Amino acid sequence: MSEFLHFSEHTLQEVAIAWLVTVYIIRVIWFLRFKPGGDRQPATGAADTTPRRGIFYSWGNIFMPWAMESTRRNLLMWITFGIFHVGVTASIALSLIIPYGPGLLESAFVVTLFQILIGTAFLIGVTRIIRRAGGKYMRALSSPDDYFSLILLTVWFFFAFLSVPNQTTNGETHLLTYFLLTAFFLMYVPFSKISHYLYYPFTRYYLGKTLGHRGVYPVQRG
Amino acid sequence: MSQKKERSQKAEKVIERMGQKLNRQIVGSLTACVHCGMCTESCHYVLANPGDPTYAPAYKADKIRKLFKRHYDWTGRVIPWWVKADSVWTEEDLEELKDTVFGKCTNCRRCTLNCPMGVDYATFNRMARGLLVSVGVQPEGVAVVSKDQWELGNQMGVLKEDYLDTLEWMEEELQDELEDPSVAIPVDKSDCTVMYAINPREVKYDPRSIADAAKIFHAAGESWTMPSEGWDQTNFGLFSGDDALGGSVARRLYEKVIELNASRLVISECGHGYRSTRCEGPNWAAFDIPFEMESSVLTMLRYIREGRIKVDKSRNTQLVTFHDSCNNARSCGLFEEPRELLNLVCENFQEMYPNRAENYCCTGGGGAMSMSEYTPNRLKSGVVKADQLKETGAEVVVTSCHNCVDGLSDVIRHYELGIEVTQLVNLVANALVIEEKIVVPVEEVVPVEEVVPVEEVVPVEEVVPVEEVVPVEEVPVEVAVEEVPVEVAGGEVPEVVSADAMSLAGRVIVVADDEPDQVEFLATVLEDHGATIYRAATGDEALELARREKPDLLTLDLHMPGRDVGEVFEMLREDPELEELKVCVITGRPELRKLIYDRSVRPPEGYLDKPVDEERLLLNVRKILELAD
Ligand code: SF4
Ligand code: SF4
Repeated sequence: MSEFLHFSEHTLQEVAIAWLVTVYIIRVIWFLRFKPGGDRQPATGAADTTPRRGIFYSWGNIFMPWAMESTRRNLLMWITFGIFHVGVTASIALSLIIPYGPGLLESAFVVTLFQILIGTAFLIGVTRIIRRAGGKYMRALSSPDDYFSLILLTVWFFFAFLSVPNQTTNGETHLLTYFLLTAFFLMYVPFSKISHYLYYPFTRYYLGKTLGHRGVYPVQRG
Repeated sequence: MSQKKERSQKAEKVIERMGQKLNRQIVGSLTACVHCGMCTESCHYVLANPGDPTYAPAYKADKIRKLFKRHYDWTGRVIPWWVKADSVWTEEDLEELKDTVFGKCTNCRRCTLNCPMGVDYATFNRMARGLLVSVGVQPEGVAVVSKDQWELGNQMGVLKEDYLDTLEWMEEELQDELEDPSVAIPVDKSDCTVMYAINPREVKYDPRSIADAAKIFHAAGESWTMPSEGWDQTNFGLFSGDDALGGSVARRLYEKVIELNASRLVISECGHGYRSTRCEGPNWAAFDIPFEMESSVLTMLRYIREGRIKVDKSRNTQLVTFHDSCNNARSCGLFEEPRELLNLVCENFQEMYPNRAENYCCTGGGGAMSMSEYTPNRLKSGVVKADQLKETGAEVVVTSCHNCVDGLSDVIRHYELGIEVTQLVNLVANALVIEEKIVVPVEEVVPVEEVVPVEEVVPVEEVVPVEEVVPVEEVPVEVAVEEVPVEVAGGEVPEVVSADAMSLAGRVIVVADDEPDQVEFLATVLEDHGATIYRAATGDEALELARREKPDLLTLDLHMPGRDVGEVFEMLREDPELEELKVCVITGRPELRKLIYDRSVRPPEGYLDKPVDEERLLLNVRKILELAD
């Protein structure tokens, strides 16, 4: 292993993670400095819906494709969305396994599992790029950041896929590219749309609290 | 050399005030959108305008989001083009934003419930409306209605005397209907259980719903009152985004409840009124509510559950469907109670799909009915609602919202669906079983044959003054004995003849409408009740007939060929010889109301939405003419 690859797998990643965490902490402080907003009204709706129930329902909403018409009617979209995010988690996990627990990748099963997950996420990424660039509605919504983030993730999946076996016999370009991309990804995330997962718990918390208090969550339909 | 862009003062204020409005919910919604497009098809505007991405909720939201990103977020301040951050500079920019936030979204919240990220676009769309309103950039209708609510305390500019007069009129109608002079619509009565607040639309266009509610309170034996002021439960602050207006209107209502020492505020059926008064008002007004508040839907349901009123569902036999108001359902969780009530008072209820939290907007939400410049677009978006309605096969659509009544009526008319729109209060009142008053049969007291020779036709008052024989409270009020001589023949018990039958005798009425069927209907009903009728098919004909015949009343359609009806109306009003003329607008195009009501002449004495039924027509005509007397 070259020194540069070692640096990329360790020091660079650690700095990038430290950066990400620092910026996120600042970001959360920034967010919490906005006033929380309140609800003085006595609860409405069915007696068994409460802010607490609303919050949990809201957080869990994404795991219940039947709960929203948008996911119910686009089940395939929801499934690919799920796999895509599992692919992101697997790729991040890989960036920690390779430097700190490479023994795990000696198992053919683990390698295959990671490759299936990340490979599928890559294919989904490609279809998403096509969807974003090809669809009239999606094009109208998209910013350069949307395209860049999606392409960045898809390319990152590709190199993560190649890096899963953690082999350098045919050169280390793929591993190097994967770790450099990971570091860039970690540093870029707080400034891009990819940081949505940071806001997700907050946004959903407040929406769930309000709609739970008002008896709208859990959603009722006939 | 690049020239530095100058920002207008208004644009500057919008940006500055945005900072004051931001809270965590809104910031969360402004930052969390990933432009996934999942919400796109949840919006009725999108469905009605296929291929036009400018209606997509996230696209519309970005018009507001770009400001936040440019001025309050990180990346957008440094590299705005990268995240599509942008600012507003000119009046045109603000006007464009106005057309999006007022003209392309009804704040129905359907997209909110369909966003995986929990982005609540409707909430920050309202915020953007408020920002624009604060610098005077708003649709004309919004300005007019807000002004009325600020100045007159209700959003339709109803004067106090007209309001009180309408309550009195409805009280009389109810006394006639129930044949019970003790029935009352109490005003400003202290220490009642219920203070009942209504929508000004009820006073202006649908007074029957006030009478229906009063009938229900009466039957339930409720201790109730209506306030003389602070009676408008609607709140245009919800639509205009003006929290100060919202707070002031809500406070007026709350303070009146406290002043009258009522223990519960009952809000008549109105989605935005319910949401504003029950949910948002306490926040806007920073008011901790020391009394209970509920929708009249819950009140009526409670009365039935508690056995305080009895209903007979066989009186409502038509196939009905139910439209969930967005504000009631998606913002206040009112889903099951209206359905339970509907099933108790109707025989045939057919659910509409989708429904409850997933129902589509009636198109009239977010104050859209007051923004006539967006009407064509609104009606176009109504195709979604029209399809939903058609699918049910229903004859009647029921809704618990006055705004939805108007929105649905417009859609139904535009798409020629021929469905009637009504509210739960009307159905409950119709199904209400009122304990029969014990009326002593006339023959038991004074056998007719003892008094009246069978073959002779004798006016009743010559035979026996009824009040001498039967205690007054046992005599049906409608037997206006002195006024209506009843011929008795063949020894039958005298038939009770309502005074209505004669009430239009001697009256001259001009019916102006370009639809021959409509003219025929109106003319026939009025002629059957004794009026002399002249028919006009254009504005000019109406003008000519009015000048020539000097009628007591002119019924005026707002859309007729020839001269502009608004102009005709103004000419009539300015004619000194027609000072006594009363006008009742009867229209199928409520958006044309502006033609008349925006003029600086005396407004019409009456207004009716088409389709008009006989009962409503007579009720209103009689009232107008009664006022004339
Ligand atoms: S608002 Fe929600 S559903 Fe719509 S594009 Fe944004 S994240 Fe997706
Ligand atoms: S709130 Fe309703 S009208 Fe507005 S964008 Fe969302 S779905 Fe469309």
